[in-house]
Amino acid sequence: MTWEVLAVFLGSSLRLATPLLLAGVGELVSERAGVLNMSVEGMMLTGAFAAAIGSWATGQPLIGLGIGIIAVIPVALIQAVLSNTLRANQIVTGIGINILVLGATTLGYRELIGARSRTEIPGLSMWSPPGLGRIPVFGDALFEQVWLLYAGLAIIAITALVLRYTSFGIAIHAAGAEPRAVDKSGLSVSFIRYCCVLFTGFMSSLGGAFLSIGDIHTFTEGMTRGAGYLAIASVIFGKWKIGGTILACLLFGAATALQFQLPTLGIDVPNALLIMLPYLLALLAVGGLAGRQTAPRALGEPFRR
Amino acid sequence: MSDIRSRYSPLGRALSPSLLISMAAVLAAALIGLGLIFLMQVSVPDAIAAFIDGTIGSPYSLAASINRSIAFALVGIGFVFANRANLVNVGGEGQIAVGGIAATAVALYGGVENLPLGLPYLLPLLAAVLAGAFWGAIAAALKIKAGTNEVISTLLLSFIAVWLLYWTVQSEHLLRKPMTNSATLPESLEIPDATKLPLLTGDYSFPLHIGLPITIVIAIVLGVVLARTLFGLQLRAVGLNPAAASRAGISYARTVLISLAVAGALGGLAGGFMLLGEQYVLKDGFSSGYGFDGLVAGLLARGSIVGVIAAALLFGFLRSGGINMEMVAEVPTALVMVIQGLIVIMLAGAAYFLERRPG
Repeated sequence: MTWEVLAVFLGSSLRLATPLLLAGVGELVSERAGVLNMSVEGMMLTGAFAAAIGSWATGQPLIGLGIGIIAVIPVALIQAVLSNTLRANQIVTGIGINILVLGATTLGYRELIGARSRTEIPGLSMWSPPGLGRIPVFGDALFEQVWLLYAGLAIIAITALVLRYTSFGIAIHAAGAEPRAVDKSGLSVSFIRYCCVLFTGFMSSLGGAFLSIGDIHTFTEGMTRGAGYLAIASVIFGKWKIGGTILACLLFGAATALQFQLPTLGIDVPNALLIMLPYLLALLAVGGLAGRQTAPRALGEPFRR
Repeated sequence: MSDIRSRYSPLGRALSPSLLISMAAVLAAALIGLGLIFLMQVSVPDAIAAFIDGTIGSPYSLAASINRSIAFALVGIGFVFANRANLVNVGGEGQIAVGGIAATAVALYGGVENLPLGLPYLLPLLAAVLAGAFWGAIAAALKIKAGTNEVISTLLLSFIAVWLLYWTVQSEHLLRKPMTNSATLPESLEIPDATKLPLLTGDYSFPLHIGLPITIVIAIVLGVVLARTLFGLQLRAVGLNPAAASRAGISYARTVLISLAVAGALGGLAGGFMLLGEQYVLKDGFSSGYGFDGLVAGLLARGSIVGVIAAALLFGFLRSGGINMEMVAEVPTALVMVIQGLIVIMLAGAAYFLERRPG
């Protein structure tokens, strides 16, 4: 493997991991607070769709991104209201939302763009960090990426700091581990969980928007194809730690990148096996390859005062 | 007292608030669907006419709707069965896919064509059941060994199965029919006539196959198992409190394994029926959407097998009507998904009000 090939492989791994990273870290925050947010898939699809439509209608990818973020709010609110206030089964709620969003975005796409399908949608611009972009071989292939990738990495870094060093971060952790104690200390478990679900929505919509207006500059029906579930798997794989989640997402990204890289290297592996690989890895991961699992104790349980 | 009566007498159960709420949710979602059709500037009467035509407009569409409902019902019954032990099987899609692959493989290459006594189609069906059970058992094994949440594992297994299906119809070493030219489609050969499921009437204009009576028998048997047998009680005990059940001598591992394997087996059987009873050729994406529709039917039923069948019929007809609406009235079938999603969300939220019901 030459350096050029390695650089392209690393670059595309990072690019393909980005939607998972954004959604995965978002999901991590929800799960830490005790909400198993199965609707990540639907949230990502909402973001991808609304950002694509916004960018297509206005010609401004930045406005599209904003519309993507706004559009996910009602979806996240449905999840938050159902899983907190109405104490609904979080898994059922999530699956319902995912079906609804898949139907609604497909319908919306056919109605709005249908006839003009395959239209190129204006996408977010590329950026490379000063200095790093000028490194020979790696500069272009690895570091020149859609700016949302770098913005996302910055948000993830801030999230890690907030989770670790602030009182709100500790409250989130406690809401998932000992909600009763949080309630006794005078904080509202419900408020914390609402915030976390909205944050998951925000991050998932960024991830979805990255897919549609960041990476491929178009929208296709059901384009997330299970990325939301991979994001959930990455949280489990990462043992509900932010570092582990990030590593898991990068691994899934690299596994996805292989399907484009191996054929160019002349290695003949069935395409389907490569497409399957991230899911297979995720299954092995949640199946104990990552060791015994240590989920937040109150994960998935609606809090009852 | 009145609560006990309403819960255990058939009439009280039929008129329970949960059924009324289910009906209200379905009605509300259908009204929203009609509103969307109106917004799409499609003539609502035309759309409704196309919908009805696609469901009961001809003997063929009626039978096709029922056949579709059979697949949903099997997946839904499996869901309810595993859910009694508090397990959530969302892997119907993948279980159908592996069932279809196994049924095709045995029907085409298992040498079953010339066997007597219905074996030409019974053996492929058995293969479908075993494949589905195996797919469900993987999730059970992960749950028992590593404590893996079965929601995640069955979902991931579904994605894997769907790509496995793609692989088997793409590769000539697997089930793809021999490539004679570059236009050969990525699909299997048609299964031999002897392996196709017998039709109840023997008439292809009303293609209702023997899957219907088999499904009815399965529904009754599993309904009785859940309600009247020791095993049904054990499932419920594990579902309510695994620790207490284990102290009472009920094996957690065995219960999880059996319930997920049964759920998977029913999904596999649904795949076998679809392949041997209707499609006859294995194609990529043949299971698309079926697993989720069956899952939703199971979710809506709130633990009742009768409820699953009602929901499965509803969705079977909804899908058939939706497909015809797309072809005739240009209303995308995605509308059906919107309606389904709304029903699930409304019912998930309604559980709160049901639980708080006094008494």
